[in-house]
Order: sequence, then structure tokens, then C-alpha cells
Amino acid sequence: MTDEKTWVIQAQQGSDEAFAQLVETYQKPVYNLCYRMLGEAEPAEDAAQETFLRAYQGLHRYDASRPFGTWLLSIAAHYCIDTLRRKKFSLFSMDAENDDGATFEMPDASALDPETESVRREQSDRLHLLLKRLESTDRAAVILRYWYDFSEVEIANALNLTVSAVKSRLHRARRGLAGMWLEEPAPVRPERRAYETPAF
Amino acid sequence: MKHQPFEEWLLNETPLSHAQKRELDLHVRSCAYCSALLQTEKVLRSVKLVAPAEGFTGRFQARLAERRLADRRRRLWGSVLFLLGGVFFLFWLAAPSLFSVFVSPQSWLASFVKWAIFLVTTVQAVMQAGEVMLHVVANLMPPFAWLVLFSAFAGMTLIWSISIWRFVRVPQGV
Repeated sequence: MTDEKTWVIQAQQGSDEAFAQLVETYQKPVYNLCYRMLGEAEPAEDAAQETFLRAYQGLHRYDASRPFGTWLLSIAAHYCIDTLRRKKFSLFSMDAENDDGATFEMPDASALDPETESVRREQSDRLHLLLKRLESTDRAAVILRYWYDFSEVEIANALNLTVSAVKSRLHRARRGLAGMWLEEPAPVRPERRAYETPAF
Repeated sequence: MKHQPFEEWLLNETPLSHAQKRELDLHVRSCAYCSALLQTEKVLRSVKLVAPAEGFTGRFQARLAERRLADRRRRLWGSVLFLLGGVFFLFWLAAPSLFSVFVSPQSWLASFVKWAIFLVTTVQAVMQAGEVMLHVVANLMPPFAWLVLFSAFAGMTLIWSISIWRFVRVPQGV
């Protein structure tokens, strides 16, 4: 039996330590989903915490034949969709989020070329902003597909949709993102002259 | 080839042959929309997972403790309110009788005795009727029928107990 299954069984029997292990293991994927869905660090933290609380309270309903992570992400996705439907989030800049120190996408230390890494981060931030403009369920479908490699069937199960609905939502979302990507040109990066240091 | 099949390839992530890949590459160079589709897909696949701030599990445990306390408080207040409501309701029902005790204790005592005698005689009558019925039915019904009846009764009791247990049990870990 894997550690995860053991923790789940122990947590179902009331062990707080076992559930803490599950939180430790899944905090990053759950938080990332909430962050990509809600677009801001603070609501994402709340949503991730609430996801784990709901999972904790609903552990007796968990079907052990499903992967625990899938079940958890499904709870998170539903919670975020409900939150987005209840409340309209205003758009904040990525800078504002970084200022509070809660969330950073750390530069990849293994990246050999800082320029490439910088472009990658810029594109990532740009996409993050565009994602916020998708309809909440479409957004959840895209996130589960591309961040978590969920198949269309898994997305359908997680979001209570049919497979064909998932497919059409993914297509619509991808078209929407491509359209917005074209409409809004990337921010102009100042050209660095040969004699300048990167600091200026 | 027209634009549509290329868009379908990109959206469906169709596995392509070398020749198809070359065709797609040529098309993407001339079609801004397909280029954007391809680029957004690449970015979607390359974006990394974002981690929460340090100490997430500790914050969860604190929040869980808070939630438990709030649940306990809510249950306590619910019980207190239920109890107070019940007491108030009983008082409201009994108020006329209580009032009559203070106004005329003799008549209240007389009616109480009358009511108690009625209750005792009724219970006695019902018990006697029950005994007679039991004797009659015991002779009428074969032992097998009694067995079936008691089994059905036991089964119903079991179902009832399980239902009650399922409704009232506290979810695991809460």
C-alpha cells in the first residue's frame, strides 16, 4: 500500500497527522489551481485552505477507487468556480501580488539563459492575465488540461460535465486565449545596448 | 490547404506525420491566428506550478482548530436555544393550568384526581384487552407465523437503528 493510501485511511479513521501529510503533499497543486483560477494570491490561499477543510470534512465520502489528488482538485475547481460566480474579481497587476510576498514564481535556477527565462516569465504573466478573462468553467478546464495533464474524461468527471462539453469548452477557451493574445500585444521590452549592464 | 484543418489539428492536438508537421509549420508562419494558438499552447505547457507561502500546513491546522471550535460553539448554542425554546413552549402550554392552580387549587386538585383515575382505569382496560387478544391470537397463529413476525420486527428495528446512526453520526475527523 502506498504512503498516500495509508494516510487517507488513517485520516478517515480520525488521524490529524495523516491528514497533515496529505496537506503537505498536495498543497502546491491545490494552491496552484486556486491561484490560476482566482488570479490572486490571497483568495487563492483562502480557497486552497477551504478545499482542504472540505476534503477533511468529506473524507468519509471519498471513493478510494479514484486518485486522491483528482478528488482534491475537483473540490478545489468547484470551490473556485462557485467563488468566481459569487464575486467578481478586480484585475490586479502581477507586481501588486508580488509585493505582498505571498506568491512568487521563482526564477528557474537551472535555466542557463536568463534572457530566455525572463521571456518565459513575461509570457507566463501575460497568459495569467488572459486566463482571468475566461469564463470560470472554461478556465478550470484549461488549467486541469495543461497544468495537471488531465484527460478530457478526467476533466469531465472533475467538473461534472460531459466529455463533448469539455472538448467544446477547451476549444472555446483556446480560441479565446489565442484571440486575446493577438489583440493585446506583448509589453515592449527595452532594447539593451551592448555596453549597458543588465542592471540599467 | 485552407486554414480550418490546421486550426483543428492545433486544437485537437492531433498527432502529425512529418509531412503534416511541415505543412503546419508553413501555415503557422503565414497565419497570425494559428501562430497565436500554437504559442499560447506552448506557454500553457511551460508555465510552472506556483507554491503557497511557507507554513501552509500550519495555517491549515490553525484554521481547522478554529473551525472545530466554531462548530462546537454553534452546536452548544443550538442546543441551548432548542432547550430554551422547548421550556418556553411547555410553559406556554401549561400556563392556563398553572394559572388555574393559583386561582382555585381545590377544583384543580379535583380535576387532577379525576384525570389520574381516568388514566389508570384506561391503562388497566387496555392491558386486560391486550391479554385477551394475546391469548386469542397465540392460539390462532402457528409458531412459524410468530417466527416470521418477530424476524420482520427485528429487521425493521435493525434498519431503523442503522438509519438513525447514519443520520446522526459525525463525519470522520470532525
